[in-house]
Amino acid sequence: MTHLFASGLLAADKVQTIPLPHVGYRALLPIFFVLGAALLGLVVEAVLPRRERFAGQVIITIVGLGAALTMVGVNHNLHVTTPSPGDGGSFFAGSLAIDGTGLFLQGTILVLAILAALLIAERSVETSSIVATAALVVGSPEDRRLARTDRVQTEVFPLLLFAVSGMMIFPISNNLILMFVALEVMSLPLYLMAGLARRKRLLSQEASLKYFLLGAFASAFFLYGIALIYGYANSVDLPTIFTAVRTSTKPDAILYIGLALLLVGLLFKASVAPFHSWTPDVYQGAPTPVSAFMASCTKVAAFGALLRVLFVAFSGESSNWRPIIWAVAIASMVVGAIWGVTQTDIKRILAYSSIAHAGFILVGLVALTKDASSSVLFYVLTYGFTTLGAFGLLTLVRDADGEATGLAAWAGLAKKSPTVAGLMTLFLLSMAGIPLTAGFVGKFTVFKAAWHTAGPLVVLALLFSAIAAFYYLRVVVLMYFAEPPENAPTVALPGWSTTAALTVAVLGTVVLGVFPQPVLDLANKAAASLIG
Amino acid sequence: MITAHGVQSAAWILVALPLLSALVLLTSGRFADKWGHLLGALVPVALFVYSIFLFFSVKGQSQREINLDIYSWLPVGGLKVDFGMLIDPLSMIFVLLITGVGSLIHIYATGYMAHDPGRRRFFGYFNFFIASMLLLVLANSYLVLYVGWEGVGVASYLLISYYRNRNSAATAGNKAFFANRVGDVGLSIAIMLMFAFFGTTDFSKLLFSNTEFTKGVAAAIGLMLLLGACGKSGQFPLQTWLPDAMEGPTPVSALIHAATMVTAGVYLIARSHVIFDASPATRTVVVIIGAITLLYGCICGCGQDDLKKVLAYSTVSQIGYMFLAAGLGHGVYAIALIHLLGHGFFKAALFLSAGSVMHAMNDRIDMRRFGGLARVMPWTYGVFVCGFLAIIGFPLATGFWTKDKIIEAAFDKGGTSGWILGICALLGAGITAFYMARALIMTFHGERRWEDDVHPHEAPAAMKWPMVVLALLSLVGGWLLVFGGGVQHWLTPSVGGSVEEGVHTVNPTVLSILTLVVVAFGLLGAWLVFARKPVPVEAPVGVSVVTTASRRLLWADAFNEAVLMRPGQWLTRALVFFDNKGVDGAVNGFGALVGGGSGRLRRTQTGFVRSYALSMLAGTVAVVAVLLAVRFQ
Amino acid sequence: MTQHDFTLVALLLIPLVGSVVLFALPEAQARLAKWIGLAVSLAVVVYTLVVGIVFDTGADAKRFQFEGSWIWIKSFGVHLAFGVDGIALVLIGMAVVLVPCVLLASWHVFDGDSHEEAVAPARSARKFFAWILLLEFFMIGVFAATDVFLFYVFFEAMLVPMYFIIGSFGGPKRQYAAMKFFLYSLLGGLLMLASVIGLYVTTGSNSFAITDLIGKVPDNATQKWLFLGFFIAFAIKAPLVPFHTWLPDAGAEAPAGGAALLVGVLDKVGTFGFLRYCLPLFPAASDYFAPTIMILSVIGVLYAAFLAIGQRDMKRLVAYTSVAHFGFIGLGIFAFTSQGGSGAVLYMVNHGLSTGAVFLVVGLLIARGKSRNIDDYGGAAKTTPILSGLFLLAGLSALALPGMSTFVSEFLVLVGTFTRHKGLAIVATTGIILAAIYVLYLYQRTFQGTVSSKVEAFKDVNAREVLSIAPLIALIVFLGVYPKPVLDVINPAVKATLSDVHKTDPAPVHGITAGGQK
Repeated sequence: MTHLFASGLLAADKVQTIPLPHVGYRALLPIFFVLGAALLGLVVEAVLPRRERFAGQVIITIVGLGAALTMVGVNHNLHVTTPSPGDGGSFFAGSLAIDGTGLFLQGTILVLAILAALLIAERSVETSSIVATAALVVGSPEDRRLARTDRVQTEVFPLLLFAVSGMMIFPISNNLILMFVALEVMSLPLYLMAGLARRKRLLSQEASLKYFLLGAFASAFFLYGIALIYGYANSVDLPTIFTAVRTSTKPDAILYIGLALLLVGLLFKASVAPFHSWTPDVYQGAPTPVSAFMASCTKVAAFGALLRVLFVAFSGESSNWRPIIWAVAIASMVVGAIWGVTQTDIKRILAYSSIAHAGFILVGLVALTKDASSSVLFYVLTYGFTTLGAFGLLTLVRDADGEATGLAAWAGLAKKSPTVAGLMTLFLLSMAGIPLTAGFVGKFTVFKAAWHTAGPLVVLALLFSAIAAFYYLRVVVLMYFAEPPENAPTVALPGWSTTAALTVAVLGTVVLGVFPQPVLDLANKAAASLIG
Repeated sequence: MITAHGVQSAAWILVALPLLSALVLLTSGRFADKWGHLLGALVPVALFVYSIFLFFSVKGQSQREINLDIYSWLPVGGLKVDFGMLIDPLSMIFVLLITGVGSLIHIYATGYMAHDPGRRRFFGYFNFFIASMLLLVLANSYLVLYVGWEGVGVASYLLISYYRNRNSAATAGNKAFFANRVGDVGLSIAIMLMFAFFGTTDFSKLLFSNTEFTKGVAAAIGLMLLLGACGKSGQFPLQTWLPDAMEGPTPVSALIHAATMVTAGVYLIARSHVIFDASPATRTVVVIIGAITLLYGCICGCGQDDLKKVLAYSTVSQIGYMFLAAGLGHGVYAIALIHLLGHGFFKAALFLSAGSVMHAMNDRIDMRRFGGLARVMPWTYGVFVCGFLAIIGFPLATGFWTKDKIIEAAFDKGGTSGWILGICALLGAGITAFYMARALIMTFHGERRWEDDVHPHEAPAAMKWPMVVLALLSLVGGWLLVFGGGVQHWLTPSVGGSVEEGVHTVNPTVLSILTLVVVAFGLLGAWLVFARKPVPVEAPVGVSVVTTASRRLLWADAFNEAVLMRPGQWLTRALVFFDNKGVDGAVNGFGALVGGGSGRLRRTQTGFVRSYALSMLAGTVAVVAVLLAVRFQ
Repeated sequence: MTQHDFTLVALLLIPLVGSVVLFALPEAQARLAKWIGLAVSLAVVVYTLVVGIVFDTGADAKRFQFEGSWIWIKSFGVHLAFGVDGIALVLIGMAVVLVPCVLLASWHVFDGDSHEEAVAPARSARKFFAWILLLEFFMIGVFAATDVFLFYVFFEAMLVPMYFIIGSFGGPKRQYAAMKFFLYSLLGGLLMLASVIGLYVTTGSNSFAITDLIGKVPDNATQKWLFLGFFIAFAIKAPLVPFHTWLPDAGAEAPAGGAALLVGVLDKVGTFGFLRYCLPLFPAASDYFAPTIMILSVIGVLYAAFLAIGQRDMKRLVAYTSVAHFGFIGLGIFAFTSQGGSGAVLYMVNHGLSTGAVFLVVGLLIARGKSRNIDDYGGAAKTTPILSGLFLLAGLSALALPGMSTFVSEFLVLVGTFTRHKGLAIVATTGIILAAIYVLYLYQRTFQGTVSSKVEAFKDVNAREVLSIAPLIALIVFLGVYPKPVLDVINPAVKATLSDVHKTDPAPVHGITAGGQK
């Protein structure tokens, strides 16, 4: 295959052979497991009778992700390639950087993905949070009939797996083309998944469409950015770009325009203002477990890629891109904190919170140090746990038409269900950054790393987290200090899967808050690979 | 300064014992109601007995400044205050006065309060007062003195507002406490000055070690002490609380607001005479205040229809005399103190008889409702007359010996100031005679003016005999005090020798005759106005401006209300408004700002993909622009 | 630096375990829960007493004692480091003494019991007791921590129990008050976090141990910024005018017991922070800002006193009085004299006890009148003589009556300030007049005068209620008559702090030698 390809090239120009790149299969195993599981899932859809499908899919998904996670663990100190220009060619023609950072991010994504999958797998609260058949006209008799059956669009699981595989490649791609492919692989399934909500279907489909259109828009920017950068650096390999940026004598305007467009694509995925506008609508419309998946895993992947682009390809130019990061960081904090204050729907509140958090994480990116990258790695993990937990709890508080996400519905919840209220409080306090929660340690690491290079930004970030604290507290106030309304929602008893997911999320939030040291060490070790 | 030994080293019981009994009386429940008052009355008697022993043990030794350290109270850095007592001639006479007169009045009170449900509480407060007052005079440093100083303040507050469900009583109590606090500011600052300049507040180091006080420091400390003294002794400009203090039960008026507490100011000045000696300027201020107050008291005394108010103002004016004397400085302190003792006797006698009248008249105190009481209660009448003779300075009665000395000393100051002061003092004597005679006539003479539901009767024994004793003291006490210059010499080590050997501006004999003439005029005036035609039951209106001025207390209260109270209230309201609307308004305003901003901004979240895309585009352009700008700046 | 003394850890664990147990108990066991809570709090008192006795006040004693330190987060150099100096010890003592009194006073408050404060609908006394014990854990921790990071953790975490105490057990406007309290404090806390991080970064010493950081901060603009971060956080906690407006709301809406701890103890964390962190860590900056702070303090003394006089709501009134009192504490701390410093520390202790007593007594009165509005009362002394007695005693301690401990501290603060800043001290001294006015005016309007109809029905305090106030007043009087034991504990610590800021007492102008002659 490669030979044919090579011979084809021969025709094009003189004698040139392309050496077969070494492939570190072991390093790729995690990805293979996930992709494999995804393909298996498709087969299952085809062969298994509908009744077994759901169970089958769940097992395949969990096992696949679990196996991948295990493999990442096994590989944890195997650095097949490093992004450094030196041995760039040794593996995958240097197009993949399976280094500490990459592995840490993959691990994070997998852990969070498993939790998300568990949330999706919930069936005891209602038939499922996933629609019976997405491809029907909303409200058509058939659609209504199916809604009452226990049918579920089980393709959601393979979609999830494909998305995960994309997310796993995204932050380890050492090559912009590959990064773009990964971006699409992870995005397309997400667009679909956003539209699979069982209740409030129109809202869900609207979300799906919005996400798709805007996503495409962003991807276009991304791609165009790649083109411009290639035009400047004659390469799409990050290490080569790094050297080119330092050595090349070309007028570098296109480089910067390219970088700008590249950033736009990435910031969109990370839901950073001013590219955040989709976030509230999509988080609100998508099935809550899917929102959880997007809020946690997508963010991790996006920041991973951002980290790689900025710290590997453009580390030489930090003085030039730092102002941009400052600007968007502040923008995100403002939007996240201020807009969020008057939201009345908890899913939207969480959306704005995720925007604000994106701002805080960017603060960590400002400083181009090992501390900085490790702090980002740690922060995304803590944030993932917290936000997953919060969304997970949302699935349990329900009224006549599905989840009751309106603030008013949560009034006096503590009386009805102290556990749910208590856990929600824990997650909210963690988001607010109160000590003894993961959120606090995360903020601390990031701000500590950024202090030297961006002291004022840190102070700003702290002020905005104070403002953001308002809407977290408002929920707590409602749950504990207000009297429940007339038609108070019921609190469903979670099934095994949600229970498991929530348990892990709580443990993550508490343990990372109280004994963060091991994970901090891990993150430091991982970050070492990116910056010496 | 030698350390206490023998009976002296037990001096702490003077404070501990009454404190303890106060504690018992106030904390023990109803069952103590039976015997509570007896315990309360027994304590000062016991203390009096002890202090007689103490007196002789002090008298028995040549070195009469005895220091008794009890324990280390405030050791912080350079500041080391020990809780201790100073027993010297000065504090000794006060101890005797307080325990002596105190005992009599306690006994009187057992009768006076016999039917009061709160009797036990009353005696608790009363003992607490004795403890504080003794601490005040026995303290061996200004800081410890301050403790006693505030203690008597609280006791006075508690006893003035003793009838706690009477609004006027509560208000009067507060007024007294607030006025005293103003004085306390002075005393505190004085103490701070002492620490700042001399690193100590001990009498032994400040007053008994020939410490050099520069004029400036002495003036500063002296004036601050004076402020404190004015607050406590109801001197101008802090005098207005004292007459209101008569809201308390009469024994309180007698003991606290006549005989002892209000004279603490004089004690403070005498005690600190070293400081005042070092600053003539301050002494001048003292005499001026004394002169003003003594006239003020006299004038206000003439217009009152409330017998106790009359006596209260006479107290104000008599203490004015003492301040005047104290201000005259070296050598005259003793005279001030002697008048203080004499005043203690006769003013107590007057108040107790006034109390006996109230007791007889169902607590009515309006003299226009009295009249002709001499017949129904001869003993009380007798006592009152004795006090009367004493205060107007009738020959050989106490005032004659003690007050005339002050008038004499005032003239002897020499120069114009001497003449002015002397004439003030002389004038005061005349007016005193006038208003006291007025009180005597309106209360005891003329036809009866009380309603039929009142059945005046002579006081019970418990009240009668203490009155009698005090009456005798006010007749012969003055003579005893000056006999052979006894007290003079006794006090010399504490406050300096006498001025007998000084040259006189006016020959003493001439002066006392002059005084008697002035007094006679006063009496005559009173007789003409009040004895010859019946006293109207309702206070006549449309009277002369002088009377009005006197009734309105020379507009002192009006002044305070207009200058202090009203503006204070306005300020308070203004500040409350400012704090709620201004400071807190800013805080909530910020919240509102964020909320409002959020409310507006969230409208940009239209939900339309087109606008989202537009915003993204704008963002992209901005990012590109910034990057290029940064690069090519 | 690596002692492993468990004394303080044990002290921390007792209330923590207690609160966990109480949370775990079923609601049915409420009565049992109360007794457990009381027993635990008393155990803490006894234990603290022992610690206090063992504490070495000798001349060559260590500054921090009972030091125990365990690595917590290695990569930040954060230790679980505990240790107390005199200042921390007496404040812990004050805090733990207050707790059982609060529990006793709140015994029936939330049972919807007819004759006690039930502003909020009947709530779980078990939970209240549990929260209080948890709060006690944090209070001890915040004073005992010798690691800046750990201190910050306690400082912030402490908000949570108080937030719930106000929010779930408070008055009608409790939601607003709780939110305001939390956000305001959090804002300060986050500014402090910025400084904590800055402190760590600028000193470069990979440790948060206070002893490693003292004297490490370079004397330059950075130090001023870092100081401000800490200062604002503490100024809000304390609270210093103009950061005070959260306190009247929180103090008024919190249940009396909660308010007692909020104003009595939590606010002291602010002033404690000045002494423990601002002065030693940033001596130059402290010196630089001292005049400003002292002026604000004096303004606070008078301003808040006037506001107190003008209040209609008696709990707001008490809250404002403590703002005024804070002015004195700030004055004493930033006067940089041993009298000022020791006075300020003693003031913190006394004010804790005194204002605690006042809040509890006011609570008892409100429990009877079911209203915080002063105008609803009058002449209560007739029906509730004992309560009025307690009220008056507590009030007199609030106006710093000589013979009560509050006088000692107030005098020390004033005299300590006076030796350096005569003007400020004199202005502050006039505050004692206002103090008299707001206390006695309140007493007059509630307990004296003609008996209002509502008051007729009042029942006087029962033994339990007396027992909840009496110890505080007894302590106040004892410390007023014999403060030496406490001063002996405080003085060395203050001396050490002053040497951190390189300050010594000004000598008397014409000093008189102990001999008597000058």
